[in-house]
Amino acid sequence: MTPGTTPAEDRRRFRRTLVRVLLVQAIAVALLWLLQYRYSG
Amino acid sequence: MHPINWIIVVAYIAYVVIDGIRRAKGTKELEGYFLANRSLPWWAVGLSVMATQLSAVTMIGTTGQGATDGMRFIQFYFGLPIAMVVLGVTLVPFLHGARVFTAYEYLERRLNPATRTLASFLFLCSRGASVGVIIAAPAVVFSAVFGWTLPYAVALIGVPTVLYTMIGGVQAVTWADVKQMVLIVFSLLAIVIVLLVQLPVAPGEALSIAGATGRLRTFDFSFNLTDTYTFWSGVIGGFFLMMSYFGTDQSQVQRYLTARSVPEARTSLLMSAYWKIPLQALVLMIGVLIFVFYLFQAPPLLFNPAHESAVRAEAGAEYGALESRFNEAWTERESAARTLAVSEGAAGVAAAERFRASEDIANGVRTEALDLANRVTGQPSRDVNYIVPHFVLTYLPIGLAGLFIAAIMAAAMSSISSELNSLSTVSVIDFYRRWLRPDATDAHFLMVSKFTTAFWGLIACVVATYAATLGSLIEVVNRFGSFFYGSILGVFLLAMIPFVKPWPAFFALIAGMVAVATVSFGAPSISFLWHNVIGVFTVLLAGILLSVVAGTRGAGANPG
Repeated sequence: MTPGTTPAEDRRRFRRTLVRVLLVQAIAVALLWLLQYRYSG
Repeated sequence: MHPINWIIVVAYIAYVVIDGIRRAKGTKELEGYFLANRSLPWWAVGLSVMATQLSAVTMIGTTGQGATDGMRFIQFYFGLPIAMVVLGVTLVPFLHGARVFTAYEYLERRLNPATRTLASFLFLCSRGASVGVIIAAPAVVFSAVFGWTLPYAVALIGVPTVLYTMIGGVQAVTWADVKQMVLIVFSLLAIVIVLLVQLPVAPGEALSIAGATGRLRTFDFSFNLTDTYTFWSGVIGGFFLMMSYFGTDQSQVQRYLTARSVPEARTSLLMSAYWKIPLQALVLMIGVLIFVFYLFQAPPLLFNPAHESAVRAEAGAEYGALESRFNEAWTERESAARTLAVSEGAAGVAAAERFRASEDIANGVRTEALDLANRVTGQPSRDVNYIVPHFVLTYLPIGLAGLFIAAIMAAAMSSISSELNSLSTVSVIDFYRRWLRPDATDAHFLMVSKFTTAFWGLIACVVATYAATLGSLIEVVNRFGSFFYGSILGVFLLAMIPFVKPWPAFFALIAGMVAVATVSFGAPSISFLWHNVIGVFTVLLAGILLSVVAGTRGAGANPG
């Protein structure tokens, strides 16, 4: 747990961060997929 | 190389060393020398984390891999972003909050001295050898490309790095990493722009040609334990590898222990979570574009200039015959590539077929040439690492070539400095201070720390000189690391479980390493990425079972 925060705050922050990171990675993976789909068939 | 390029390389080395020495001011005591008094901002730590992971192998090896194998290597990193988020709520708050110098110190606090000593000893063995390999990779290329002797190339990379790391401590390492990372990204973007300008076809046409050879096929969803580069080995095996690397390897842990607070340490790791995959995509795409570039500009038959001159001297007639066959194949391939670039529909399919056939013929001749080089020199002749240096030195404008060579050195130095710094920290904190001189003064430890940095630098240079001549040694070093990486992560996770007791955790660590060694020797075809998964779960299972069997549940060791 992060010093100075409650477990509930920690869980909320973790969920928010996880969603943000996954969203950015999903965009990166989608672009790579598009590249493969468009040019490799 | 043009004198202006050399001036840029020398200016870069001088700047990094002088700036590093200047930063020695804030390192008058041990906490300043090893942890910068835990005062560094998240963005500097984040760039240092990325620079430590990105070595010269990325600059010359991964770009070369992009040219020969395409984009699929990127799957290796698919587990990294999730690992960073999970570390942010598990090991990072534990380690930063514990106010330790090394990750292994925490193991003694929570478990026992034996576990700490074994984990730190394994770190010293693997990192001590791998830092030599990190020097060897660019040194071998530089010695072949510039005609230097190998010890000279090793010294050119190793000595300045040891100098600023030894004098300036972690402050010098981190701020040098920041500048090196900026230089690396700038030079990568510059090389992309130059490639796009110099290609005789439009970017979309270049991608069509690369796609026809399968180099843009990024995803492989087959579940195959023997293939390192599949979606599943990257997501699952890569997740545990990155958890081990960023969560338990002192060379990375020490980066974020210098952060001002737990949230800043966490944010520094998230920088990698966001940017590592796009950066690797850029590196691999450079390789793909260089592959397309050499479809329209005649490449050498052998990219390693040292091998080429040796083959010409020893087997000139045979090599000459191969060259004329290669030139024929290249001419046909270039014509096929130009047709493919402007073809669509059914004509595009036929053009792609013709292009692939000509590509196979050209590759066949190149394979024969590589076999000949192997016979003549008696050395491994794979020349993936020489493709990008050849392009840089032959086709990049004056100034930019020097900048890219400086960036290759920056990538090597940023990894070497972090590793030397962490090797010194573990040597002093986990061995010297723990077992030999627990009561010595801070000034004494500071002096010993500088000495051990120089000592590990010397070891690294010696390993680099021998690793370069023994190609298989590099593989041995990488394989050795995979024996215990997952197991050490397992023991750190055990340390976070309240009812796990010290000795069960120690024996679980041993059991994990035995399990991985058994799989490694019993089923050598299984990819090393899965070794981490086997190690983690064996240690967790053994540690929990042994603790329960020992009847110690609820005895309550404090996990903080």
